[in-house]
Amino acid sequence: MSQFTDTKQYIDALFRTRNIMVDPKQNGIFEQFVNEQTCTDAVQKILHLQHTIMANWELRRKADDILSAPWAIPNGTVDKPYHTVLNFAERGLANAALLEVKGTELCGLNYDASTATISGTPTASGDFAITIEFRLAGEDEGLRHTRKLPLIINPNPKSLWKNLPSDTSDPYWKEDDVAVASPLGDRHIVVASKRGRSHANVGSFRDDDFAYTHLPDTGWSIVAVSDGAGSAPYARKGAQLACDAIINYFSTMPEGLTQAEELFVSHFAQPTDDTSRKIQMLLYDALGKAAFSAYKRLEDFAKQHTMAVKDLHATLIFTLVRRYSFGYAILTFGVGDCPVAVLTHDAAEVHMMNWLDVGEYGGGTRFITMPEIFQDTRKFASRLSFRLLPDFQYIMLMTDGIYDPKFVVEANLEKPEKWQEFLEDLRGRNEEGIKVRLEPGNTEVANQLSGWMDFWSPGNHDDRTLAIIY
Amino acid sequence: MYGEPIEALNNALSGMINVLRTDPQALDSLWLSIITYDREVKELVPLTELVSFQLPQVVCPQSGPTHTGQALQMLHDLVGKQVVKGNATQKGDWRPLLFLFTDGKPSDLQLYRDMIPKIKSLNFGAIVACAAGPSADDKLLKELTDTVVHLDTADAATLRQFFRWVSETIEQGNKSMGTVDTVSLPEPPGELHLVI
Repeated sequence: MSQFTDTKQYIDALFRTRNIMVDPKQNGIFEQFVNEQTCTDAVQKILHLQHTIMANWELRRKADDILSAPWAIPNGTVDKPYHTVLNFAERGLANAALLEVKGTELCGLNYDASTATISGTPTASGDFAITIEFRLAGEDEGLRHTRKLPLIINPNPKSLWKNLPSDTSDPYWKEDDVAVASPLGDRHIVVASKRGRSHANVGSFRDDDFAYTHLPDTGWSIVAVSDGAGSAPYARKGAQLACDAIINYFSTMPEGLTQAEELFVSHFAQPTDDTSRKIQMLLYDALGKAAFSAYKRLEDFAKQHTMAVKDLHATLIFTLVRRYSFGYAILTFGVGDCPVAVLTHDAAEVHMMNWLDVGEYGGGTRFITMPEIFQDTRKFASRLSFRLLPDFQYIMLMTDGIYDPKFVVEANLEKPEKWQEFLEDLRGRNEEGIKVRLEPGNTEVANQLSGWMDFWSPGNHDDRTLAIIY
Repeated sequence: MYGEPIEALNNALSGMINVLRTDPQALDSLWLSIITYDREVKELVPLTELVSFQLPQVVCPQSGPTHTGQALQMLHDLVGKQVVKGNATQKGDWRPLLFLFTDGKPSDLQLYRDMIPKIKSLNFGAIVACAAGPSADDKLLKELTDTVVHLDTADAATLRQFFRWVSETIEQGNKSMGTVDTVSLPEPPGELHLVI
């Protein structure tokens, strides 16, 4: 408005908007006119009113901006601390004449006006709204604008898991949770296998399975673990059949294995290309055929029950262990994403026995039910592995339900420090303080392992199976 | 899509998000991204985990071209950038699922067809295309995926049914499977016709 502080200028501008030109002859009268008191007063009044109109518009526009501009606050989750600061300055509310924040208590949160902070731990989930009432400086006393900010509070995922029983009348039903321990040759074994929360939530079945045996006649112990594919309808049966097929196959021990002592002793004393090759052949002949027998068993079962063999998709790892004069021979086979590892001296040394079939996406893997794994002979040979060791502390076989939360990625399975952490975890360094005492005299070991296995890990709710030879 | 149908779509989408929020598995692991496409192709919501997800309004012009091909192009770029692939030192994401929803036909047909093999090569866990209303072209969608759902009308009830089914399908997405298998889809409700 400053350009109009001079009355004459204002009248000039007014005349221009009306297309009135002052005749130069009348310049004198015009000059007199604009300087008369009534005229200068009128112009001052007009300017004042215009100023008020503009200021009011400015307030109205500001308020509307505040009411309509995007303004989102982060979502919260029940039982998880929430903290957000309302940045009033950024929203044009720095000098508001009135500013009240309401509604935080509906979901269990608090509002601190001195710091403009919403914080606390939400107690209720759902769609809430925080109400901000304000009046800008200069606006009428009675005015109150209301801005609602949607606030989404997620439920605590822990509270949503249901534990629905599986259907015991299903032909392929199996127990939801099992845990067993027993001597295994001159060592011991403990295995726990539990239905994952994702299955318990919908009342479906445990897809993992395992089987083990010791054959006193030949001295070999055999342990098999399998993880049925979550996407295959009868995977729970597939996993069970695969494990049983391995135990069954070795009930008649292949001759190569019963007569392998000399070869193992010689290789242990002085490994040569020749002994290596012979052992590889032996693995191929004995363990490879066992794996194929598992495939055949699944194929036959699928045929008999008019289902596709892929409906039985399951991974498979198994190990054969035998004591010799020099120590132990440990032979393994693996297809899928379940690791077998041999640990010595509190994981000072870790021997990862197999590589994992993991795809570029989570959950993608290969199964014993896929004929192509037997066709690629070079790759197939790499699924077979052996170690001759003077001693071992633990042999561990686990499904991805354990491996995913505890090791996360394959590279960690090679790291002794990760296994040391894992052993510490088993020994009680965990949230619940559950200790699994892997000692021959411990009659509670199966229950302890089963209890330990209930650990909480966000996003990891698959079946869990862990077999430990100790 | 304009007026009542787009309102119904927004409501159905919001309903789907609410359903997913009650699934503990989804709360732990689901991430969502929305791309809208008409004349303009827009990443409406970048890939966001469900717990932080806030659904904006989907708006659509009254008329104009449908740039499905461009949308697939953007999708292809975003999947390449945002979806984490697994290796020995990095945990991979679950296989992504693609839901494509349209009430028209691609205006950029050449690009649409060029993008199809590229989209397929991304190895989605499932691709579901939904043709809503009489102007949507099932046949063209069939070139993208075997799973084409046709909705005769895009009314509130049908859309709600559809997105409930979508959420069930999403819940199938985090199971172990063969590296090239596809996610088996739940049985669709009666209002949805799977186009054979």
